[in-house]
Amino acid sequence: MSMNGKKLIELRGITKSFDGEVVLDNISLDIYEDEFITLLGPSGCGKTTTLRIIGGFESPDSGDVFFDGVRINDTPPYKRHINTVFQRYALFPHLNVYENIAFGLRVAKVKDDEEISNRVREMLEMVNLKGFERRHVTTLSGGQQQRVAIARALINKPRVLLLDEPLGALDLKLRKDMQNELKNMQKRTGITFIYVTHDQEEALSMSDTVVVMNEGSIMQIGTPTDIYNEPKNAYVADFIGESNIVDGVMLDDFSVKMSGQTFVCVDKGFGKNTPVDVVVRPEDVDVVAPESGMLRGKVTSVTFKGVHYEVIVDIGGFKWMIQTTDYVAPDAVIGIDIEPDAIHIMNKSEYSGMFGDYSSFSDELDALSENSEEEED
Amino acid sequence: MKKSFLERASAYPHIVWSVLFIIAPLIFVVYYTFTDADGAFTTENIARLFTSNYVLIFVNSVCLALIATVICLVIAYPLAYIFSRMREKWQRIMILLIMIPLWMNFLITTYSWMTILEDTGIINSILSVFGLSVHMINTPGAVVVGMVFCFLPYMILPIYTVMSGIDEKLLEAAADLGCSGWQRLTKVVMPMSLSGVISGITMVFVPSISTFYISQKLGGGTFQLIGDTIESYFVGTAINYHFGAALSLVLMILILISMAVMNHYTDAEETERRRIK
Repeated sequence: MSMNGKKLIELRGITKSFDGEVVLDNISLDIYEDEFITLLGPSGCGKTTTLRIIGGFESPDSGDVFFDGVRINDTPPYKRHINTVFQRYALFPHLNVYENIAFGLRVAKVKDDEEISNRVREMLEMVNLKGFERRHVTTLSGGQQQRVAIARALINKPRVLLLDEPLGALDLKLRKDMQNELKNMQKRTGITFIYVTHDQEEALSMSDTVVVMNEGSIMQIGTPTDIYNEPKNAYVADFIGESNIVDGVMLDDFSVKMSGQTFVCVDKGFGKNTPVDVVVRPEDVDVVAPESGMLRGKVTSVTFKGVHYEVIVDIGGFKWMIQTTDYVAPDAVIGIDIEPDAIHIMNKSEYSGMFGDYSSFSDELDALSENSEEEED
Repeated sequence: MKKSFLERASAYPHIVWSVLFIIAPLIFVVYYTFTDADGAFTTENIARLFTSNYVLIFVNSVCLALIATVICLVIAYPLAYIFSRMREKWQRIMILLIMIPLWMNFLITTYSWMTILEDTGIINSILSVFGLSVHMINTPGAVVVGMVFCFLPYMILPIYTVMSGIDEKLLEAAADLGCSGWQRLTKVVMPMSLSGVISGITMVFVPSISTFYISQKLGGGTFQLIGDTIESYFVGTAINYHFGAALSLVLMILILISMAVMNHYTDAEETERRRIK
């Protein structure tokens, strides 16, 4: 696993502003050899700027970047052992597929034509574009251009590959395929991948490590399961998947009170009678008969999602989201049960009370905010 | 696809225009070239061109036009590059500054250069303070200065247009793949801006080689260019439409050949690019 690897890149106290607006606020991050690490956050959170600082396209206002223990703040991009797959590919329109991929070798003054052609062919094979050598890049589909961009970035055998929302412009099906391919490529080559995305599902399914960012700060660093199961604050819990985040009081170790009921949980060490945020994932809530439930509420909306129904339940004025495979009728009164290990306790933070209530929930709003993410900083 | 009557009719004004002002004059030029004063067929006008006197005039014209074109390119290329990398607001201001001289009639511009370059002109007035003086007016150098000044915008604008279309991300990608600043220029900017350079060269070379006003005013008639010579046979003392037409025809052919050569280079590149295996 990556954490056992050698530390390759260190960011220490990176701060960066554009026109007086702080984009990165004192970021520190370690990146290891052979790691697939994802910078995840909404647009404007500073993830792309972080990537550009690692690539050398921006320099930090303060703080240091180390590569293999050497400070590289002032090293220009062309001297770094780092290559980039750009957001909109940035393929050279005056060159064909072969020459686009060979570009790095030609710049590195590889004179042996046979070596160039062997390595280009090897790259084309890896990205499944055999036979496309002579095609002009503008005649390729988005997915094919994407593959050329990856091949072009990998041909110089970089130590690190930066990927800036590389799948953003592809349709859903293609995106899923490319996610798998990228993950396999990373495993096969052993190159450190630093991946930027606003898509939490993509981040969870591909990464060894996920870095959740918001407004120029790092919220949490961890494995996908850590991030999902043990979110540090309400922001992370809300951004990664759906969450019900309820006000609670930790009565004692393993005992929490919320919505007027006392629940058994697996968390401890918060002290007695401490106000906390309680996270319950919608898929961890069991629907039961009203009289036997730990909590009781009225269904306000039911949406069919394919694998499950998404049910919004009003419990004492707080609207919970529940995902269940059993149909419940709108306006029905239902009971819910929550297992101890489905309850996750978080300390109160500046994000408490801002997320995790589904009273203003609407699919339309969700879709709108997702579209506005497309245009990344 | 069959075009409607209206669609076809809308082309007629242009056809009439072309016939009246392009095709008819061309036919006249060819007619005059191959006839003598009595209207009889002759090739003497063409033969007369190849006497040393006129060959020299052609060579001089080509040389001066080439020098002016090269100087324009050397000045325009870096300027166009710098403009294209400026912030948008500054790009607009710079392009406006380049365009302003074009709003002025170039006869006026040429006259201004006369007063600047004259022996008693602005430059020499300033130099005389230091007891110096340089003879500039009525030299080939003065003609080249005039050509460069008048035609420089026609070099800058097409190159700038192409360069401003080069995405900054491409330069970043080049840097990412190991290109130093100079290599970014030679490996990305230059090949991508070639089409702009070609049209710039054509737009400067063609008016330079056929100019007669600049060479008369700044060259002072001390030497003749092809444009002057043609003019002299139509409005000068030795009016001879037939020989003037022959000179024009050869000049046109010369320009067409050089444009064909230029286009050949860009076309070859285009087809190479478009070729699909």
